[in-house]
Amino acid sequence: MVVIDFIINSILTQASITIALIAFAGLLLQRKPFGEVMSGSFKTMLGFLVLSAGSSIIVGSLLYFGDIFSEGFGMEGIVPSIEAINGQAMNDLGLANQIALTFLAIFIFNIILARFTRWKYIFLTGQAILWMATMTTVFGSAAGLSGIGLILVGGLVGGVFAVAMPAIAQPIVKKITGTDDIALGHFCTIGYMFAAGISKVVGKNSDSTENIKFPKGLGFLSDTYLSVAMVMVPLYVITSIFAGGEFGSELSGDVNYIVYAFLQAVQFVVGVYVLLSGVRLLLAEIVPAFRGIALKVVPDAKPALDCPVLFPYAPNAVTAGFITTTIGTVIAMFVLPWFGLAMILPGMLTNFFAGGTAGIFMNAVGGKRGVLIGGIAHGFFITLLPALLVPHLNSLGFVNTTATDVDTVTAGLLFEWFIQPIMNLFA
Amino acid sequence: MPFFKKKKKENETKTVQQQEVKKEHLSEQIEEYLTKLESTESEDQIHIFNMLGSLYFEMEDHDNAIKYYEKSIDQNKTLGKVFTDLIKLYNIKRKEATKEGDREAVQVYLQKSDDLMKLTKDTIRGNM
Repeated sequence: MVVIDFIINSILTQASITIALIAFAGLLLQRKPFGEVMSGSFKTMLGFLVLSAGSSIIVGSLLYFGDIFSEGFGMEGIVPSIEAINGQAMNDLGLANQIALTFLAIFIFNIILARFTRWKYIFLTGQAILWMATMTTVFGSAAGLSGIGLILVGGLVGGVFAVAMPAIAQPIVKKITGTDDIALGHFCTIGYMFAAGISKVVGKNSDSTENIKFPKGLGFLSDTYLSVAMVMVPLYVITSIFAGGEFGSELSGDVNYIVYAFLQAVQFVVGVYVLLSGVRLLLAEIVPAFRGIALKVVPDAKPALDCPVLFPYAPNAVTAGFITTTIGTVIAMFVLPWFGLAMILPGMLTNFFAGGTAGIFMNAVGGKRGVLIGGIAHGFFITLLPALLVPHLNSLGFVNTTATDVDTVTAGLLFEWFIQPIMNLFA
Repeated sequence: MPFFKKKKKENETKTVQQQEVKKEHLSEQIEEYLTKLESTESEDQIHIFNMLGSLYFEMEDHDNAIKYYEKSIDQNKTLGKVFTDLIKLYNIKRKEATKEGDREAVQVYLQKSDDLMKLTKDTIRGNM
């Protein structure tokens, strides 16, 4: 009994160990050599711990930012970052095990749905599935689900998204790529379809973006972390100036309050860097195994790939979509607080990848004019949805942050608006 | 009815013949470019690699198409047909490997797709 108690209470409560054990079981099932099983399990554990370390750095920086923003502007300033949501959910909310198991459940439901329905899509973007698992677990547990029920419902919702999102995007993806063999697996698809809808209405007979000559001036985007820093540093520094020296010095101690704000902004970037390195390590062993199994079980599957798969088809549309989406997010940042919603600061990573891919969608159906107007609407849309989540996320204990990637946000809202009321009926 | 059947058969024979002529024509073009490749300086090589990749793809010789497209991308990373054809080719090869039950090859081509998408990301940002 003592041994079982020790295993249950002291070992299995440690998320890093249980996640490593899940990887261990998965690798054993694939009949990998013992050396690979051990190294793979260890790397997975290491990945989780690196992710946690990144999350702590981000939370520290966001706590500081939340304080100076409230002092400077008298309202909440929310940084959209799905990475931060994932990190906090895994560490501070203690949902790591549930997220890891839901992640596997989404894979399994994806395979089942692809095998037995007309939607033959296998979602190959592992990181996006991790974000989806995070949202269904956070909002599922808030709705009152727990244990196996939480994992199964989250897995089913995530699995449906994993086949439905590529399916609804496919008519336009087919138009862009000229083939039905490859699909798009990126959980920003509802935003792409919204943007494409607007673009189609406004962009009739408009010329393609690929005939525009763009000046080269966005070199700072050549590096993920540099592009995040380009936004976070001015945001932190300007906010600290508004908060004032007296308040700033209370937080910065002996360091000058503006220099401290600058360093905290850089800390945020460091946190994202560390967290994403952890995610890569964590997924490196699990994702290839899943892909192999999925494509074996569903031989006629259409692989749903990450968004860069579309970039070579219309590189100008990527730039144009990024710029117009960013304009939309800046407009939404100022407009949404008028309606009692939180101020959502522009997230450069989402603006680049989601904005760029939306650009290709919009160009395909509405040309230049479509990308201009549709892009601004898209920026507004992908800021509005995360803003709707803020009150709920705050009440759950998340620090100054909200989710990005509108499909995962939609999954969260689905739990909040539909599954939670149903659960309450039976409670 | 027999009349229609005859016509259908005639059409099928015609299509097979057309395909053979097309393949012959493609082979001739490939030979031409291979000869050119031997006597060309490095700058023009990229164009020849692209042409060879495209012609082999049309011939459905996927291994050679991949070989020349990959050579092209090693030297020049301009986004366009080379990238889009390569993703399609990797997917075709991955599908073949799945059918043959060759697990290792499945992972090789999935990894190649991942690497190509990473290169796409880096290239598009570098171009801005």
